[in-house]
Amino acid sequence: MRTTIKNGIRFGAIISVVIIFFHLTGFSVVAANMIGGLFGNVDKNTALAQLPTINLAIVISLIGLIAGGSASKNTKTDSWTNAIVSGTVAGAFSGLFVAVFVYLIGIANFLEVDLRSYLPEIGPDNIDYLLFGGKASANFLYLGLLTISGLAGAAFSKGIIRANWRKQVQADSVQSFNAFIQKPGIQKVFNNKIVVYAFLAAAAFLLYFLPTKWGPYWNFIMGTVGIYILLGLGLNIIVGLSGQLVLGYVAFFAIGAYTFGLLTAPEPHAIGMNFWLAIVFAILAAALTGVLLGLPILNLRGDYLAIVTLGFGEIIRILIKSDMLTDFTNGPSGLSDLVQPKWLGKTFNDVNYFHLTVIFVIIAIFIANRLQYSRTGRAWLAISADQTVARATGINTFKYNLLALALGAAFAGLGGALFASRNQFTGPEDHILMVSINVLCLVIVGGMGSLPGVVVGAFVLKGVPELLRDLENYRLLAFGALLVMMMVMRPEGLWPKGRPEMETLYYRKHPKDSPPDGEVQS
Amino acid sequence: MKIRRLLFVVIVVALALSACVPQAPVEEAPVEEAPAVEEAAPAEEEAPAEEEAPAEEAAPAEEAADDVCASDAFGCAVIPAGDTIKIGMGAPLLGDYSMFGIDISQGVEVALVGDDGFEGWSYELIAEDTGGAPEAGAAVANKMVTDPTVVAIAGHIFSGSTAAAMPIYEKAGFPMMSPSATLPELTEKGSAVFNRLAFTDATQAKFAATLLFESLGVEKLAVMHDGSSYGQGLAEGTKAVFEELGGEVVAVEAVTPGEVDYIAPLSSIAAKSPDAIYYGGYAAEAIVMANQWQQSGLDGVILFGCDGTYGVEFTDKTGPNGEGSIAVSLVPPDSAEKTAFDEAYKAAYGMEAGELSAFSWSSYDTGAVLIAAIEKVAFVGADGSLYVPRGALVEAVRTTDYEGLTGTVKCDDTGECNASGPTFYVVTDGEWVPFVP
Amino acid sequence: MSEQKTTRDQPSLNVGKLIRWIAGILLLALIGWRVYQTAFIEGSYGPDTWMRFIIAGLIIGGMYSLIAIGYTLVYGILFMINFAHGEVMMLGAFGGYFIFELLASIKAPSVSDPNMNFLNAYPVISVLLAFIVGTVVSAVAGLLLERIAYRPLRKAPRLVPLISAIGASIFLQNAAQLLFGPQRRQYINPVILWRGTGWSIPVGDTTVLLTYTGTLSLVLSALLMIGLFLVVQKTRLGRSMRAVAENKQAAALMGIDVDDVIGKTFIISGVLAGAAGVMWGIHNGLFNHYVGFLPGIKAFTAAVLGGIGNIPGAMMGGMLLGLLESVGPAALGIDFQLKDVIAFTILILVLIFRPSGLLGEALSEEKV
Repeated sequence: MRTTIKNGIRFGAIISVVIIFFHLTGFSVVAANMIGGLFGNVDKNTALAQLPTINLAIVISLIGLIAGGSASKNTKTDSWTNAIVSGTVAGAFSGLFVAVFVYLIGIANFLEVDLRSYLPEIGPDNIDYLLFGGKASANFLYLGLLTISGLAGAAFSKGIIRANWRKQVQADSVQSFNAFIQKPGIQKVFNNKIVVYAFLAAAAFLLYFLPTKWGPYWNFIMGTVGIYILLGLGLNIIVGLSGQLVLGYVAFFAIGAYTFGLLTAPEPHAIGMNFWLAIVFAILAAALTGVLLGLPILNLRGDYLAIVTLGFGEIIRILIKSDMLTDFTNGPSGLSDLVQPKWLGKTFNDVNYFHLTVIFVIIAIFIANRLQYSRTGRAWLAISADQTVARATGINTFKYNLLALALGAAFAGLGGALFASRNQFTGPEDHILMVSINVLCLVIVGGMGSLPGVVVGAFVLKGVPELLRDLENYRLLAFGALLVMMMVMRPEGLWPKGRPEMETLYYRKHPKDSPPDGEVQS
Repeated sequence: MKIRRLLFVVIVVALALSACVPQAPVEEAPVEEAPAVEEAAPAEEEAPAEEEAPAEEAAPAEEAADDVCASDAFGCAVIPAGDTIKIGMGAPLLGDYSMFGIDISQGVEVALVGDDGFEGWSYELIAEDTGGAPEAGAAVANKMVTDPTVVAIAGHIFSGSTAAAMPIYEKAGFPMMSPSATLPELTEKGSAVFNRLAFTDATQAKFAATLLFESLGVEKLAVMHDGSSYGQGLAEGTKAVFEELGGEVVAVEAVTPGEVDYIAPLSSIAAKSPDAIYYGGYAAEAIVMANQWQQSGLDGVILFGCDGTYGVEFTDKTGPNGEGSIAVSLVPPDSAEKTAFDEAYKAAYGMEAGELSAFSWSSYDTGAVLIAAIEKVAFVGADGSLYVPRGALVEAVRTTDYEGLTGTVKCDDTGECNASGPTFYVVTDGEWVPFVP
Repeated sequence: MSEQKTTRDQPSLNVGKLIRWIAGILLLALIGWRVYQTAFIEGSYGPDTWMRFIIAGLIIGGMYSLIAIGYTLVYGILFMINFAHGEVMMLGAFGGYFIFELLASIKAPSVSDPNMNFLNAYPVISVLLAFIVGTVVSAVAGLLLERIAYRPLRKAPRLVPLISAIGASIFLQNAAQLLFGPQRRQYINPVILWRGTGWSIPVGDTTVLLTYTGTLSLVLSALLMIGLFLVVQKTRLGRSMRAVAENKQAAALMGIDVDDVIGKTFIISGVLAGAAGVMWGIHNGLFNHYVGFLPGIKAFTAAVLGGIGNIPGAMMGGMLLGLLESVGPAALGIDFQLKDVIAFTILILVLIFRPSGLLGEALSEEKV
């Protein structure tokens, strides 16, 4: 019982910090507004003074429910009393802390102190609302609401979510689904060429027609996602396959974009090259940079390589915008009015661009896929597993690492050129360190070394922040928290790489040798 | 592996589909929703995308509306009764430069909220975060043009983001009015939609160099900037004019923005003993420089800033170190309107106007100018909706003649709307006072 | 010791190595020639200017060192780059700021000045209090960071904690912006520590100003670094830290609570970052939610420059980086805009010749 209460207090403390944080950042009010939008008791023009306080109560209760639920889950012995006690204690304690906090900000309001020069979201009106319309009894309301919702959350969690019958059903359904998938007939359907082609045709159909339907905004966002898939595929070769940590990937992206830009922009050089030719040059320039950079530094280990490449990325960006090279690169103003491709005499619009990006992505996936399972890919696999052993088996690690860097750079060059051309603009601010970090994140969030992982990762990294635009200024906050949570919950990535192909193939041919855990089905 | 590949395709498709869900209702709307507009549907409904099929949309409306909208180059924005007239903005609201975006959005917001609306419609600001990046500027622009109730754009804020967004607004016929994008090329491209309140770097540089050479009697000038296109444009413009006038530019130095220690570059300039340093850039760096003036051996050298360095923040945070510094502003010394704005700003946000950036006042004017232009062209249709002909609005913004906080706003045919010219200010006893030569 | 490691390389690498050496020597010669030119032939700067460069470089270098030690400690033990370390420093800067503001609002009337506030009446106590609060805030932040974002990932692949750290960094930056607002804030120092005041040192016919705040930062960084060195070398905790860095399993078998030691390491690195944050505020004044990012990157560079995992290396790397940034452009006669280019180029050069940093890796010998 003592540990149960302790557990409840711990959760209560955590939850109270969360609620206080929400109050201080103004998120509670925004959430109350959103709740209002769901219930329809708030419209766009509702001022804070008219926002129903019941919405705030709902927000608080929801947090309390979650608190109670998760507190009850953490009790060691999974009994009803333990669950209820720890849920209630968690709710009550968080209520206590929050009540004290609310009391304090209430005093500030009473003394007519404007806290906004230090805590901008806690203006007098906001405090009034957080006190449920300036009620003196707000503290007790918080305490009561949180205790009751903590209790309810615990009961709900214990009684419904974690009920034994549910566990059974869940286990059964997972098992039967696995059995269903394993059935030879089903396997046949999945392996059937016609089914595969039908799926591909459906996907192609969707990819062709969706862009004409969903408007320029989503074309733009999905186009950006596509470009990040290209970048991710490239970095995946370097980081995921050959196992070298590169933090300055943006350098190759910038070189691709600027090569393309300098060759096609009317200023400063007015070369006026054709789109397709310029793309080829951009790819070549990026690959060449990869080789030149790789020659001196590739024998560096892990994090040294990371910081050297990071430095290289910064060097490129600073040089591009520097006074020294302004005449050559147009400096901080960047390059604009870049050439757009033409097809049958028609300049590309946003839909065509999306299609073009998709085609490039498909080609890139094809190449990356072939590479991964080629002799080269296996050499990379060996190097990333153990460089010394790989070298001992006769693999020229330097050559393969250099090849990986050059190929990865080429992908980035293509991505950069496409990016610059689509935006009809490229400037130094497009090539900041955060681009490298985003691409690295997408590779790892998706699952290192996994091609579908790259695609999923690109959607998460570039798509999710756009979907989160409704959260307004809380967008990046939520994104950062999501990133941490994703890593903690799925450290291997959202779509991890299966076992190495060779091994799987071997076990398929020799089922008797399969390891007992039955992991072969990848 | 086959299964995995299949699943992969399925997931891609599913993700693609799920990503498009938020947009789906709008896309499928046009045909079904036209009658809803006719019946003056409640606020929740999104009006159909106008610029795609203006004639079709306007068909159920009154004859006059039909005519105006059909003859307009970009059709009409139709705003149902109960909805708001939206003004869009792409601004850095998060990240390192967020104070500019937040200040400008607050300034415009004061103008929009303070206005008592038009025929029962009130104004709403839709400010989207760009983080200052050009790419995000284009993304925001694409988002704005798909919202049929957004009629005009206040911004964008930075020149890069504006340059990336301009072609998109140009195609859709959204008038822009930027309080802060100063890159000269922006108005040199012959854009019909882009206008700005900020004076171009070239104008400001000319006035600054002339003042330095003629009124202050500076013979040896050092030029510094923060490496942004804004600062670089100002610095190079000033240098060119100053040399033309017969002065000597002894040093040109660029610094890395966002840092807090500029002793090294300042000392290196001090070694060349200039009479004054011209700085093109924002207050953040100028404050640091003013505070490190003495440590760098620059006693008695004038710090000459630009419109980015002007503001309460500079005087607040430099104290005695900033004494004698000169800057440029659009803001008139004092007027009843300015006091009213300052009070409204303080009441709404709990901070002084100009505390976050120097653009509070010009962003208020931006909002006011857009409102005036909208009210010139908008009309209520027979169905009770508000019609805003987009092409006419673009024209109306360009032909603005408005008396604002920052002086007369009157655009020339390239979109330069600041007609009153720069006013120079000097810090005296910790306050900005107009400079008298 | 790095010599031995490089000789392990394949024979086929020798040509590349030769090219590297030749290119490196040529570059060094070029740099040397350029420095010689600007310093002695052109003589653009007098001794007073050089002295200003060096003082500025040392002060900023001291702060880089403190932050770099945080990176190095964590790296030495967990082999991960704590990307959110700069944000820990930012929180420390906020902590100190709020203490200064609070104390400035407390009246402490004295005979001579009835409007005296606590900050000016008791400046030593105030500054001490600011440092204590700043370091406590940062230490708690560091500890929580480890608990929430890194501890569950102890067994995950190497790059996963890095991404978690990046997520935490984004979260903390935006949380600080939302909590405290986007505006730049400025430390209002006690009058005796006013920024821009200090001792005037006569150099030639001019004087060079050595500011009180700068001296304070430099002395305090030195003291903290010595203190840390003693902790790591002499105390029980230091021994456990070194043991954990050497081999976690063996350390656990010897009765060391590994999680506890890791937690304490984060506390120590948080304390140093917090002190750096408060110093940053007192010396430079301006800061906002973004203040940790650039110094974080720079300090990480410094840690690598000195040999990551090596505490004296981090100190030296930080100082060297600070000096390079302020003296480098002037010595080479290049635009100050390109100071980071110089810093990173030197870093690359150093790593080409000494692949594990200037002083090598020392906290442990284990390599991943």
